[in-house]
Amino acid sequence: MDILAFLLAGFSEALTPLNIGLALFGCFIGTIIGALPGLGPVNGVAILIPLVFSLSLSPSSALILLSCVYYGCMYGGRISSIMLNIPGDEPAMMTCIDGYPMAKNGKAPEALAISGIASFVGALLSTIGLMLFAPLLVQFAIHFGPAEYFALFTLAFATIGGITGANPAKTLLAAALGLALGTVGIDPQSGVPRYTFGSFHLFDGFHPIVAIVGLFAISEVLIMLEAGAGNHAGAIAVNRAFARWSEIKPTIGAMLRGSGFGFLAGVLPGAGASLGSFLAYTMEKRYSDKGGFGSGDPKGVAAPEAGNNAAAGGALVPMLALGVPGSGTTAVLLALLISLNITPGPLLFQNQPDIVWGLIAALFVANVFLILMNLPLVGVFTRMLSIPMWALMPFVVMISFVGVYSISHSPVDLLVMVGFGIFGFVLRKLEISVVPVVLGLLLGSETENSLRRAMSISAGDPAILVSSGISIGLYIATAGFLIAALWMAVSQRRRKKKEPA
Amino acid sequence: MSARLSDRIAGAIFLALAIAYWVMAGDYAVSYGDPAGPSLFPRIIAVPFGLFAIFLIVKPDADPVWFRWPHVTGQIATVVVLVVYPLLLEPIGFPLATFIGTMLLARFLGGTWLQAAISGLVTGIGLFVLFDIIFGLPLPLTPTFS
Repeated sequence: MDILAFLLAGFSEALTPLNIGLALFGCFIGTIIGALPGLGPVNGVAILIPLVFSLSLSPSSALILLSCVYYGCMYGGRISSIMLNIPGDEPAMMTCIDGYPMAKNGKAPEALAISGIASFVGALLSTIGLMLFAPLLVQFAIHFGPAEYFALFTLAFATIGGITGANPAKTLLAAALGLALGTVGIDPQSGVPRYTFGSFHLFDGFHPIVAIVGLFAISEVLIMLEAGAGNHAGAIAVNRAFARWSEIKPTIGAMLRGSGFGFLAGVLPGAGASLGSFLAYTMEKRYSDKGGFGSGDPKGVAAPEAGNNAAAGGALVPMLALGVPGSGTTAVLLALLISLNITPGPLLFQNQPDIVWGLIAALFVANVFLILMNLPLVGVFTRMLSIPMWALMPFVVMISFVGVYSISHSPVDLLVMVGFGIFGFVLRKLEISVVPVVLGLLLGSETENSLRRAMSISAGDPAILVSSGISIGLYIATAGFLIAALWMAVSQRRRKKKEPA
Repeated sequence: MSARLSDRIAGAIFLALAIAYWVMAGDYAVSYGDPAGPSLFPRIIAVPFGLFAIFLIVKPDADPVWFRWPHVTGQIATVVVLVVYPLLLEPIGFPLATFIGTMLLARFLGGTWLQAAISGLVTGIGLFVLFDIIFGLPLPLTPTFS
């Protein structure tokens, strides 16, 4: 079977000493970053990207390193969720609900072991899914012309609004804002400078990495200053993660179900690991809750952990096959690929299959490394959680500065980054999610190009946008999502009004 | 019930931006071979942009706590450091700028002067060695007086 041959080629690419070393390093750093509250996979990947440039890594090595960091973060997030009741990153939020009670009941080793195994199962199943699903999607994608891509991007941007749960209007506003920011600069097709106000610095537009590091890392520092200097609630001591088979066995069903939901959530453009863990938890609760969920049911730990790892893998499917990121972190990975002059999409599978399959093989390898690392090293990781904020955050800021400086050697870019940081702080205060802004900035030019190409082909006739079955189907799905999102938001508000204050 | 001004003001600002965005798009002329032109897409975006901004004005969420005293002073000081650092980076060199920057940031986040100073030294020198020497990324070393 073709896929097996590709996979074997991928393994030979992934198992070179350099790549194995990078994978180990990535897994380790990813787990720590995931475990540290406040730093999540997006910050971790974003901060490491400039590093990747300075090391002049080959594209496949760079991708392997960062994907391992990404998967590693999914594993790491659960550590502080269980031990400190502080989610290591957004997707790990659901793990706090049952994980922390388990730890308080003295079952921390079980919680850590079950969540570790669940993460492994989720990541494994979703990497298999990625392997099978992505080439299928690629074959299907050949039917995508510019008009269809425009419809797909419209769907992606619409679903961002519906799925994040918080006020969808704000999320859609953020997406529009990101798209608008993306149009700043010299228009590549016509050479007309747009929204540059005569400033040379704006001719190139906003570099996505500068925006990303500013919006995520710098705004994080400003927000942390409010929470006050690191006051962690008393940490629970544990030395290794160990659980008996009798405890693990009943959770296997939860792991499998969680993986399924997580993968589906990840594949949807705009949704990601957070939705994966959320969906997995709520579905599992509906399916098997006998009153124990919320006070330490192991299934409540297994399901979201499997879900978020599966979603992380699932998010890679649309990113690689179509060039449409499935989540915030894959958006950052997409930015990386574009800066390396690699355009994800169906052509990537045809022209550079070694990169794609090297990546998939690396993910399998990463998964194994992660489970081997995580189970015995839990004690080490928890000790690292006690790094005080005053030591950690300045370090993060300085690395961000160096990283961005390495892109253009221009202090102006550093100032732009700080500007984005302040902007990100304001947005977060207003409860406007920053991820859609980044997605808009990244995908704006692709979306616009699709539109303009389609219009050139039809010599200005807008009917081309709805002329194929795929486009119409996508627009119907978009409408469906928007309606569902509106309905959910309205019913949530109604429920809030009915509850006694 | 509070005035929920934050969302409304933000909505108003975004609405103004959306309208300006729309209007400025009118200046971008169409050339041949490109019937959509540089102004079509911005105009398409300006519409939902404006509509959602109006939504914020009409249905605002509760106000967030913008400024928690005394943390605000720390935040303002941090922003000052973040703005001054890039301006000073080339004139006074990376190790010195990073030392001062890290030390100040650590202090704002709750470290003592000693802890902050040590942190600054380690970061300033460590990052310089790591990036300039090991990774080969040129960083300005010494103060330049021009």
